[in-house]
Amino acid sequence: MDSSSGTLLQARGIEKSFGGVRALRGVDFELRRGEVHALLGENGAGKSTLVNVLSGVIPDYEGRVEIGGREVAFRRPGDAQDAGLATIHQELDLVLDMTVAENLFLGREPRTALRLFDRRRLLRDAEAALEEAGISLDPSRKVRSLRVGERQMVEIARALSLDARILIMDEPTAALADAEVEHLFSVVRELRQREVSVIYISHRLEELEEVADRATVFRNGEVVGTVEVPKSTRGQLIRMMVGQPVSELYPDAGVEKEGELLRVEGLSVRPRRPKRGRSEPRDVSINVGRGEIVGLAGIMGSGRTELLETLFGMGASGARAGLVSLEGEELKLGSPRQAIAAGIGFVPEDRKELGLVLEQSVNSNTTIAALRRFARAGLMNGSREREAVDRTISDLNIRASGRNALVRTLSGGNQQKVLFGRQLLIKPRLLLLDEPTRGVDVGAKAEIYRLLSGLAADGMGILMASSELPELLGMCDRIYVLRSGRIAAELKASEASQEAILEAATAGDEREAV
Amino acid sequence: MTEESNRQGSAGRILSKRPALPSGRQEWVEFLFRFQSLFGLIVVFLAAIAFSPRRDGEILFLSLVNLTNILRSVSEIGIIAIGMTFVILVGGIDLSVGSILGLAATGSAVLMVEDNFGVLPAVLLVLLIGMAFGAVQGFVSTRFAVQAFIVTLAGLQIGRGLARIWSGGQGVAISYGEGKGQAPESFSILSERVFNGLVPVPALIFFIVGAIAVFVLNKTTFSRHVYAIGGNERAARISGVPVMRVKITVFAISGMLAALAGIIHAGQLSQGSPNDGIAYELDAIAAVVVGGTSLMGGVGSVVGTIGGAIMLGVLNNILALNSIDINTQYLIKGLVIVAAAALLSLRSGDR
Repeated sequence: MDSSSGTLLQARGIEKSFGGVRALRGVDFELRRGEVHALLGENGAGKSTLVNVLSGVIPDYEGRVEIGGREVAFRRPGDAQDAGLATIHQELDLVLDMTVAENLFLGREPRTALRLFDRRRLLRDAEAALEEAGISLDPSRKVRSLRVGERQMVEIARALSLDARILIMDEPTAALADAEVEHLFSVVRELRQREVSVIYISHRLEELEEVADRATVFRNGEVVGTVEVPKSTRGQLIRMMVGQPVSELYPDAGVEKEGELLRVEGLSVRPRRPKRGRSEPRDVSINVGRGEIVGLAGIMGSGRTELLETLFGMGASGARAGLVSLEGEELKLGSPRQAIAAGIGFVPEDRKELGLVLEQSVNSNTTIAALRRFARAGLMNGSREREAVDRTISDLNIRASGRNALVRTLSGGNQQKVLFGRQLLIKPRLLLLDEPTRGVDVGAKAEIYRLLSGLAADGMGILMASSELPELLGMCDRIYVLRSGRIAAELKASEASQEAILEAATAGDEREAV
Repeated sequence: MTEESNRQGSAGRILSKRPALPSGRQEWVEFLFRFQSLFGLIVVFLAAIAFSPRRDGEILFLSLVNLTNILRSVSEIGIIAIGMTFVILVGGIDLSVGSILGLAATGSAVLMVEDNFGVLPAVLLVLLIGMAFGAVQGFVSTRFAVQAFIVTLAGLQIGRGLARIWSGGQGVAISYGEGKGQAPESFSILSERVFNGLVPVPALIFFIVGAIAVFVLNKTTFSRHVYAIGGNERAARISGVPVMRVKITVFAISGMLAALAGIIHAGQLSQGSPNDGIAYELDAIAAVVVGGTSLMGGVGSVVGTIGGAIMLGVLNNILALNSIDINTQYLIKGLVIVAAAALLSLRSGDR
């Protein structure tokens, strides 16, 4: 039944516009049986739109999609799933308060002869499905208690148990620790063996080299080309994506450091209600100088986020020991409000859950933390606010239809820039960043790096946690490595290497590496 | 979720913006959707004209007396619904407003008739009581992380109980005069009309409250905080929004406006009874929802609520004018509320 050799899915001349904006312009795409096919391109280049067309999220488009030689026209994601095409979402959609097993078989729960819910078979089937996918997880655990990486494994197991022939993975490694990434790759390679095709969206070129067979590059809604990944260089791919050579992703450092900004001495938190998977700070002593970019490295669950949250006054409630001061003033760490007043900004890791009000405009989201600057006696000064927002949009090169665009409609990179814009409006002395470039494309990444260098040059101190080691090594002056909430090592970036960081991050407790 | 549906869904959502005057055709459509409850109001209004009984060729529904009566009849629910809008915008709900109305009506009657309070002291004290009642509910809900639904359900019982205790379980009739056991004459203005006997005083108060609320929800930093909390409370918190203070404030506003409605209730009926305002909270919530405010919070407007309240009032009126059986009236009203809510979610095109 196959039209050409090994072609599983074929899309021809796909066109899609969103109110005048042409998101896809005559896109052709071919997916072979058992291949891992990467989609590359900056945010807004058309990757997600194509994936949404293929998976039935967007039912109205022009063009033709064939699977196994037969034309398909999915009206909804469920149709695609029935046809063997499953999506592993960037925003994982699992029911948090249900168990792994219940999530795996949501909507198709096994039943007894009497049509009653069969809990025993559910657990048995779940165990089988997890084992099939090579995942070791207790199926009776609540999804809420799982880490992001583990939740993703549940999604993959669910798709596999649905006999998916095509798996779409959108930024699957964005939230994973390195060990988990390796695990994911082995699962992906296993899929290839089983003739499952994978459409793989990622901004991390280095991981494509590990898993992808071919890559199709998008720019401005058009396909620039499809290449064999093993035969291409990273520079080649980047040039195809941005249309011009990216000379240097990381800007030059070389800023004069003057004086201490943040000082943390013996900071420990003993939470009133300890939560599984959280590593609260334990006897942490660090400092950040003016104009210095300091990195926080560590595997997932090492306490990077917890440390940043504690410094921003939103850590776990409970007993706290140690001293934290900013330019000599002691900080209370009582609430984000106090932190902001003290001159601290924070860009959280989970921008949708913690950062943005998705249903509201770029305007409201940008100024929400700095309203006082645009108001007198509680009354907003609309024109001053609009000016500031427009300036932020142009300074940070935020691509949106205007300041009234809903944040939900922006691409990941632009959403992240809105969060940065919000921080800049409060004019912080210290900026805390948690995975500042997670789910952000190469172009926006470079822009964020340039922005950070500029801010540091102006004397701002930056403390950034990241699981991308090249990013830490490229951006930071110094790097602290965390392990189980403690500082395991302090490294000068110029002397550090990925190996040294990894060694410090995992020494002593391999267990934590998942 | 497609970007297209986002665009459509956004039309009614950017409510903190000042609406620009519509120019092109697309803007007109968006303009209609932005004020969709007004749009619905127009539809119901036209239907009311069509179905209105006529006498000597005159459309009874359109008579000045009838129209102003509608405004008078919706003013209490309307005022409550405006306060409710604030609460629902932060993602909460206030079930206690009907009881607060009863408490306030009883309280103002007792204070003036039995305790010789002047009008102003009585009104101020009752407003203060309503505000405090709401503030306490907001505090309990926020501080102890109990859902507003439960806290205000308890408040509903407590308010009713307090009203009964205050009046000894009896309704208190208000007669006007100088002597003991009589209320000051000026309180009776609530049952009168001003501007050549045209505008009922309660309706006037309703519109003044509405205008203030529209202003507050468009021009203040407080409104940004309200919308941000309703849209994403955690994001609001890490943006330094004083979440607890804002939540307590919206419940205080709701309580105070419910008390204001109670004072008007007492003035209109010349009595205060602890049974006043039973189930008013449901009518108020209906007005808010029909007015396009999302029960999830973060999306909605006071203009919508005012339109929603008047729309339900017009509906009530036309059913009564046609002498529709009261039981059938309930049925029709229920269907209209469901239809309006369904239309709303169609418009949003998401979820």
